[in-house]
Amino acid sequence: MQLFIEQLLNGVAMGAIYSLITLGLALVYGILRILHVAHAAVYTAGAYVGLYVFTLSGSLLLAVPAAMAVCAALGVAVERFVYTPLLRFPPFVPLIGSIAVFLAMEEVFRIVGGPYILSFPAELPFSGITIRGVVVSPAILSIYAVSAAVLLILWFIVTKTGLGLAMRATSQDRDIAGTMGINASFTISMTFVLGSAVAAIAGILVGIYYNQVYPTMGAVPAYKCLALIVVGGLGSLPGAVLASLLLGVGETLLIGYANIPLPRDSLAFIAMIAVLLWRPQGLLGGK
Amino acid sequence: MDDVLLRLDRVSKHFGGLKAVDNVSFELAKGEILGLIGPNGAGKTTCFNLISGVYTPTSGAIYLEEKPTGGLPPYRMASLGVGRTFQVVKPFSTLSVVQNVMVALGLKRYGGVISSFAPWETKKSRKEAMTLLEEVGIAHLADTPSGQLPLGNQRRLELARALALMPGVLLLDETFSGLRHEEISLLSKLVLEVRNKGISVLLIEHNMKVAMGLSDRLVVLDHGRLLAEGKPEDIRSDPAVIEAYLGKGASANAS
Amino acid sequence: MNDYSITILTFIAIQAIVACGLNVIVGYAGQISLGHAAFFGIGAYSSALLTTKAGLTFWAALPLVILITGSIGLVLGMPSLRLREDFLAVTTIGINFIVESVFLYVPFFGGALGLGGIPSITFLGTRLRGPNFLYLCLVLLGLVLLISRRFTKSWAGLACFALREEETAASSMGVSPIRFKLLAFVLGTAMAGMGGALYAHLMRFISATDFGFPLSITLMSMVVLGGIGTLWGPVLGALILGVLPEVFRPLIDYRMLLNAAILLLMIRFQPAGLLGEGSFLRGLFQRKGGTSNG
Repeated sequence: MQLFIEQLLNGVAMGAIYSLITLGLALVYGILRILHVAHAAVYTAGAYVGLYVFTLSGSLLLAVPAAMAVCAALGVAVERFVYTPLLRFPPFVPLIGSIAVFLAMEEVFRIVGGPYILSFPAELPFSGITIRGVVVSPAILSIYAVSAAVLLILWFIVTKTGLGLAMRATSQDRDIAGTMGINASFTISMTFVLGSAVAAIAGILVGIYYNQVYPTMGAVPAYKCLALIVVGGLGSLPGAVLASLLLGVGETLLIGYANIPLPRDSLAFIAMIAVLLWRPQGLLGGK
Repeated sequence: MDDVLLRLDRVSKHFGGLKAVDNVSFELAKGEILGLIGPNGAGKTTCFNLISGVYTPTSGAIYLEEKPTGGLPPYRMASLGVGRTFQVVKPFSTLSVVQNVMVALGLKRYGGVISSFAPWETKKSRKEAMTLLEEVGIAHLADTPSGQLPLGNQRRLELARALALMPGVLLLDETFSGLRHEEISLLSKLVLEVRNKGISVLLIEHNMKVAMGLSDRLVVLDHGRLLAEGKPEDIRSDPAVIEAYLGKGASANAS
Repeated sequence: MNDYSITILTFIAIQAIVACGLNVIVGYAGQISLGHAAFFGIGAYSSALLTTKAGLTFWAALPLVILITGSIGLVLGMPSLRLREDFLAVTTIGINFIVESVFLYVPFFGGALGLGGIPSITFLGTRLRGPNFLYLCLVLLGLVLLISRRFTKSWAGLACFALREEETAASSMGVSPIRFKLLAFVLGTAMAGMGGALYAHLMRFISATDFGFPLSITLMSMVVLGGIGTLWGPVLGALILGVLPEVFRPLIDYRMLLNAAILLLMIRFQPAGLLGEGSFLRGLFQRKGGTSNG
């Protein structure tokens, strides 16, 4: 039972990290209708920049904002130089562009950071806790705390602020939003800033949690999180979070208890196909 | 009534809570031109989408030559003789104008395994397509990519494509809108010729003068419901119709 | 030509066959597929199993391989009937991952060890190798090009073009979306199957990772680079992406970066591809009075 609860807690932590990455994808899909594969490279960049600044300064308090800033700039660059010029083409054109950006960035990480696994030796400033024999590590605690805070802040921005209103209006109809006095191109860029900054946090969390940073760490999330936004309902933020948490728990339990000859990375896609057959608009998607 | 070609029997189409078409019945006789009019959002295009199989009715039935057609997809309706144009034009943009028409000429071949592998670009099919393009007056644009045409010419292309299906019923969804005066009279003449060949025409038209001039009878829809039905001169003076178009005050003044 | 160049050309010919198949699906019928490597793999595994476990010759197995791959293509093409473009793109990625993991984890397919001992191809009693194997690939590539060309000239091809441009209008012109989308999937995946069979008998050892998602991206890059929906585009794309790494051997470390950069620059500045409508190559030919039939 203790083991089961620990597995469950790990699963929720995994799901929380997925949700931090997937939210960025859902935001971008909501506003541009683009499947932003390169988002996973932004996440990897977050881990690398975080590690670099941490190694130089020894302070996570410097590393996190630095990574967020660099990733935000990267995200906006991809939006400005690749997506915006390709919006007038059928959706697979920007999608292929996105995949190309992703592959190119992976190569840049390999060339600059080396093809090997770097460790992320951050000591968290608090210790783990033990409740009735169930051990919760400091890394897991920090994932919970940080994801909860990020989700709250994002929820606040999207539902309560003028920027959130502009984002929702722009995602409904870019041209009409423009006529209502909304600066659509600024709003779109801000969406990339938000999503990319959150991805940077996810990258650092994963780096610390596994104590690993490597060039292809984005390869699996790149496509798996696409499946997640489909499962959640394309563009639905609560759906993206729900799907991420379910997948995190599902994957962990699958490895721990089921004896199915399929690797865990396929689970997301199998779930996606099942959901598409049963409910093509996704778990929480509208029409 | 053996000369009824198309019959809508208490047809409704609901989208969520919105009753886009609500309990509408009317008939289209062989060789008749029936105008479908009504204010914006009255459900005219929804009617077309129901007849051509794009939508399935929520309730009610549609009969073509007294055979029910409910639930058949558009490509089956096309082979049963329903040809249509689209209000929001839908050209096959990268294909040339003449190729657009040829797509419709293929109607009889798409069903067979062997016939669908025969070559499409034959002298015969091109000649057939060119004849139709001449009829609508855009033969000189035959080899232009259809996406590059101005809207008026795209509407004429829509008409040529629909005629290429050699339909029994021709559905024209605002085919005349955005056309110049002389273009309208050319196409009106064409529609009358088509009717004289025995083809029934159901047309949606915003230009009242055109609708009244061309149609043998008119059906007026308002908020998804059938408001009036009759000869153009009766419709013109129907107070309910005037009210629907011009608002409540207008009918009070008129009566 | 030395053995090495012949091997490279053989690989290019095989990839061109598979890319032509992808072009039928993406270029002619306008259905996005990012999982084409899965069908390449299904072809390779079918041929490997039919020749090693069922004892068939390559020639007896080939029609069966094409049939099997095409049938699986028919089934896995079905999502295209229900899904919008974006959903379809992700679904085909998913299909690729799932097919790869079935090969990797199901013992029947050799598991992580892969399948070995695949016989070479014999023709009139002699083993096909070196240039002769290349000739076989070129003959089959020619056949695939012939079929592609014939397809674009047929009513079925025209129906696919119409569906690609405007599905509702095409349907109202009598084109059944179900029939013609699936036809394109069957044709395109069958071509991939044929390429897979050649690959299996060339390598004589195959494993799941040969058919992963990165290969699907490479195949898509070939089609995009050469020109989506053009006859020779996939061949040109396969040739360029196949030869480039050899030309840039000194830069071997930057090879993947170069590939990705080329793909990015192409899609960003010339999305119709080298042979597509309005490309600079076409402009060049047309100015010189050449033909424009791509």
